[in-house]
Amino acid sequence: MDFSLPESARAVRDGIGEICARYDMDYWQRCEAEKRWPEEVWEELAKGGWLGLAVPEEYGGGGQGLLELTVATETLSAGGSAGGSAFTYVLTPGFGALTLTRHGSEWQRREILPRLAAGTMETCFALTEPDAGSNALAISTSARRDGDDFLIKGQKIWITGVQRAEWMLLVTRTIPAAEARPRTNGLTVFLVNVPEAVAAGTLSYQAIPKMGANTTPSNMVFLDDVRVPADRVVGRVDQGAAVLWDILNPERILLGASSVGGAEVALRVACDYARERVVFGRPIGANQAVAFPLAQVKAKIELARLMLYKAAWLFDNREPCGTEANIGKLTAAQAAWEAADQAFQVHGGMAYSLEYPVARLLTDARIGKVAPVTEELLLNYLATQVLGLPRGF
Amino acid sequence: MNIVVCVKQVPDTATERKLRPDDKTIDREAAEGVINEICEYAVEEALRLKEAHGGEVTVLTMGPSKATDTIRKALAMGADKAVHLVDDALHGSDGLQTSYALAQVLKKIGFDVVILGSESTDARMGTLAAMLAERLDAPQLSLANKVEIDGSTIRIQRLTDYGFDRVEASLPAVVSVVEKINEPRYPSFKGIMAAKKKPVETLSVADAEIDAAKVGLASAATEVVDFAVAPPRAAGTIVKDEGDGGVKVAEFLASKKFV
Ligand SMILES: Cc1cc2nc3c(=O)[nH]c(=O)nc-3n(C[C@H](O)[C@H](O)[C@H](O)COP(=O)(O)OP(=O)(O)OC[C@H]3O[C@@H](n4cnc5c(N)ncnc54)[C@H](O)[C@@H]3O)c2cc1C
Repeated sequence: MDFSLPESARAVRDGIGEICARYDMDYWQRCEAEKRWPEEVWEELAKGGWLGLAVPEEYGGGGQGLLELTVATETLSAGGSAGGSAFTYVLTPGFGALTLTRHGSEWQRREILPRLAAGTMETCFALTEPDAGSNALAISTSARRDGDDFLIKGQKIWITGVQRAEWMLLVTRTIPAAEARPRTNGLTVFLVNVPEAVAAGTLSYQAIPKMGANTTPSNMVFLDDVRVPADRVVGRVDQGAAVLWDILNPERILLGASSVGGAEVALRVACDYARERVVFGRPIGANQAVAFPLAQVKAKIELARLMLYKAAWLFDNREPCGTEANIGKLTAAQAAWEAADQAFQVHGGMAYSLEYPVARLLTDARIGKVAPVTEELLLNYLATQVLGLPRGF
Repeated sequence: MNIVVCVKQVPDTATERKLRPDDKTIDREAAEGVINEICEYAVEEALRLKEAHGGEVTVLTMGPSKATDTIRKALAMGADKAVHLVDDALHGSDGLQTSYALAQVLKKIGFDVVILGSESTDARMGTLAAMLAERLDAPQLSLANKVEIDGSTIRIQRLTDYGFDRVEASLPAVVSVVEKINEPRYPSFKGIMAAKKKPVETLSVADAEIDAAKVGLASAATEVVDFAVAPPRAAGTIVKDEGDGGVKVAEFLASKKFV
C-alpha cells in the first residue's frame, strides 16, 4: 500500500496554497459579507489551470481526476474560504468537468470542456425539488418528447450558482416516479443552456435569502416547457441514474473535502486564540479541558481526509466508491461542525463578535450536515447497504 | 537572448530567524527556506523579457542542497533550466566572495542579461548586483522598476527618492529590480509539473573553476564580531488631543530631530 500523494496532487496543494497565501481570512470574510463571488481567486485559479485539473488534456485541461480536485478543494477551503470553496470547486470543475468527461457526448465535450478548463464558462446542477430532497428519486420535473426536442416542465429548489452558469445539468423524469420499475429507471439528465432558456422566457429563477455561503446564491428555478434538443441528453434517455451516481459521489467527496478544509481553518483559528488568550494567568490552551477537544477534532479531520482521498482514488480508478464517499462525507461534516463548535467555545464571548470569523465558520460547517445529503441519509445508507439492516423506507 | 536570473533561498521572514552560535552565520537549518521574495519579481521580469524577445531563462542559485526547492519554484514559474552552485566550501561566504563565485559561474555559462532582486531579506546588503557587474566588467543598471531591451541596448527606469532616472547601457548587462517592477505570476499546474523535469545542473566549486581559498568563512573580508537579540520594542507614547495635539506632535518630532 502506498499512502503518498501523487506528484500531481502535491503540485495542486503547493500551487493553490500559494494563491491562498495572498488571499487571507479577511478576504473571505469580505466576500461573504458583501455576498460576492471571489472573482480574484477564481481568475487566478483559471489562469493557473487549477479549474481544469480534471478536464482531459485534449480538451485543454490538466488531465487529472477527482483526487486532484479533492486536494484543490481542501486546500482552498483551508486557506480561509472554508465552506465557500465548496461551490468554487463543486459547481464547475466537479459537476461540469467530471460529468462531461465521463458521460458527455463528443459534441458536448468539444462544446463545453475547453471553456470549463479555461475558466470562461460555468455550470450548475439541478436535482432537488420542493417535494424531493432526500428522496431524490421522487422528483417530478418531467421531460417529454416534442419532435426532435424535449420539453421540460417543473420546479427545482436550492439550485446554486444559476446566475453564473451557462449550462445547467438538469435531472428530470422521462418516466414518472410512480411508474418507474425499478425506481432508478426513467431518469434523464439534460444540459440546459441557461441564458438561452432565460431569453426564451421558459426558465426563471429567484435567489433564496440564506444564512451563509453567500458567495454564491442558491435559487428556486421554474421550468416552463424549456425546449432542449435531443443531443443535449447526457448519457442515455431513461438511464440517467448511471450519470447521477457519478455526479452525486464526487459531489459528496468534494463537499467533504471542503468540510475538511473548513475544519482545519476553524482549528487554526481556535488554536491561535488558545495560545494567545490568557485567563487565570496562563494561556487557555494550557488547560487540557480546552486542548483535548481540539486534539480530538484534529484526529477526526485526519481520518475524514484519508477516507475522502480513498474514495476519490476509487472513483478515479472506476471502482465503486459509494461507501467510502459516504463515510468520508459523514465524518468530514462532523469534524467540521465539531471544529467550528470548539472554535466557538475557545473564543468565549468573542465568538459572538462579528470581528472574529467564528460565526462564518459555524454556519459554513453546519450546512455540511444537511447538504448535499443529510447525515441521516448517509447513516441510512451505511445501515441498509453496508450493514444489511432492514429498510425503513 | 540568454537571460540569467539569480535567485536566492532565504529563511522564511514569517518565522524566527537566527544566527548560529558556533560560527555566527545565518542558521539555514533552523527556519524553513523560501524564495527571497524580490527574486520572484526578478524571475517574472526575466520571463517577460523572454516572452518579448525570445531566448532562454536560466536560474542561477548559490546555496545549500535544500535550495533546490527554491530553484523548482522559479522553474515552475516558467524558467527553462537552472544551475545550482552548491559546495560546503562556500559556507559563510560574504558578499564579495559570493559575487566572485557567481561571476565565475556566469563567465562559464555566458549571458546577455543578468537579473537580480535588489536585496535579500536575510543579509540585506543590496550590493551584489554592483559587485557582480564589476567582476563581469558589464554595465550595472540597478533598482529598476522598468526594463526595456531594444536590439543590443537596454534601458531602465531607476527608482530614486525624487522619482526615477533613465539609465541606458549596451548588452551584456547586470540589472537589479525593485518590487514595483511587476506582479509575479503564480506557478500554474502545468508549470509545477513541468518544473520537475527541467534540467538542473549542479556545480561544485571545482566545476565552476572557483578558487576554494577565496570563498568561505575563513577567508571572508567581513566578520560578524558579535550579535544580540534585538531589544523588545518600547511602548509608544500616546498623545491625547486636548486642543494642543498638533503642538505636541511637532515637539515630539523636533525632539527626535525629524523636523
Ligand atoms: C446551501 C444549499 C445549497 C444547495 N445546493 C443545491 C444544488 O446546487 N443543487 C441541488 O440539486 N440541490 C441543492 N441543495 C439541496 C440539498 O441537496 C437538499 O437540501 C438536501 O438533499 C436535503 O433535502 P431537503 O432539504 O429536501 O430535506 P428533507 O429531505 O426534507 O429532510 C428533512 C429532514 O428529515 C430527515 N429525514 C428525511 N427522511 C428521513 C428518514 N427516512 N430517516 C431519517 N431522517 C429522515 C432528513 O435527514 C432531514 O434532517 C442545496 C441545499 C442547500 C442548503
